[in-house]
This record gives sequence, C-alpha cells and structure tokens, in this order.
Amino acid sequence: MRIKAKIKGDAVQVKVMAKHDMLTYDQAKKKGTEANFITHISAKVNDKVVYDASTSQFLSKDPLFQFKFKASAAKAGDKLEVTWVDLKGKTETDSKEIK
Amino acid sequence: MERRKFLGLSVAAFAALPVLLSATDFRATKPDAWTAKTVEDAIKALYGSAELIEKDVKVKAPKVASNGGAVPVTVQSDIPAKTVTIFQDANPESAVATFELNEYSIIDFGLKIKMKQSGTITAVVEGTDGKLYVGKQTLEVALGGCEG
Repeated sequence: MRIKAKIKGDAVQVKVMAKHDMLTYDQAKKKGTEANFITHISAKVNDKVVYDASTSQFLSKDPLFQFKFKASAAKAGDKLEVTWVDLKGKTETDSKEIK
Repeated sequence: MERRKFLGLSVAAFAALPVLLSATDFRATKPDAWTAKTVEDAIKALYGSAELIEKDVKVKAPKVASNGGAVPVTVQSDIPAKTVTIFQDANPESAVATFELNEYSIIDFGLKIKMKQSGTITAVVEGTDGKLYVGKQTLEVALGGCEG
C-alpha cells in the first residue's frame, strides 16, 4: 500500500493506493478464475476511525482512495493506519506518519 | 479447572473481536444494494426510499474519460451527513462505494472507478436530518473499463 497523509489547514489530506487486481465477476469469468476485489477499507488514527468505506467490484485496478478528515483527530507525527479486506477475506494493513 | 478454562476462552474470544467496532459493513447489512441493477433500485435497497433532493452535492468527473478502467470521481458536500454512496449506470450493477461518516469526516471523497461505457455517476448523501440529497455527473467513456 502507498499512503500519503498531510495536514493542510483544518484538514488532513490523505491518498491511499492499494495494490489489488479488483477482478469483477465479468472479468473473472473471461479469465476462468474467481472474482476478487476489496470490499471494505478503513483508516484510523489514535484509535479514531477517520475513513470507512464499503466498496464494490467497480473500483479501478490498484484503486486510489482520496479523502480528507478534520485535523482535530490528529497532529503531525501521528500514525494513520489503513486496513482493507477483500472478498476472499485477505486483509492488509499499513501505516504512515502524518506530515 | 472447568471454570478456569472457560474464563481463558472468553478472554481469547474478546481479543479476536474486530478492531474497528464502529464501522458498518454495508455489504453485509444491505446485500441487495450491491446486486441491484439500476441506480434507483440500489438507492431503495440501501436507504429504503428513492425520494431525492437534488442540491448541494457536487460530483466531479471528466466530461470525457479516455480510459474507462480508471475514471477519477470526486464527491463533495457540506451537508451534515451519516453516509455517502456513489452509484453509476454504466456497469451490470450500480453500487460503487458507501462511506460511513462520523464527527471527523469531511465529505470530499475521491475514487477511481471502472465504467464499461458512457453513463451517469450519482452520489447520494444521507443527511443527519434523514433526507437524501443527490448530485450527478454524466460523462462519456471512450474506452470501456470492464473488458479486461
């Protein structure tokens, strides 16, 4: 996962790029394999949830997630932790210091 | 001994609870919304109503997307809200993502999505007042993104 998190004014701006094929049911059928895609992604800082999304097969391959949250939840140097889970139950967690 | 064993087990069970207790998995709680074929059906399945107020929700996407495999979409709004959901009508099913909000949230979400053909992206903001606000953006897709 690639994560960028930066405080700008009252908000923390975040960009997350997850590495995932995001294979739709149609694509999987053509390839003769099973569909698999990220179904949930969330981010937290200091045990506070700051991003939470239930997702479908229609995100791009290696999906990009951009979001902002209120800077009251964090300060520079805090760690932003991002976790995703896919249809097959695989999870990946990564974290990055907020600049 | 039996009691001690039981206590040990219950501690282990607590430790195994998911960390994100406040998060809702909308795929599990509203399964019909993710298989609905039209945007209207998906909105009804997710929110129980399709009565939409068309204001104060901004959907940004390119007018013409050269690559349907990764169409950048941004949804912005200042409405105090519980959830935000993005739909489109270019693919076999319409739901793309549901965001759950809390006191730290700012509605400014960007995603890259797949679109098989030209269509309309619809974003629904579920206000804390219980009303549904909607914004739309229609775009052309030059090269479809679900072909492989």
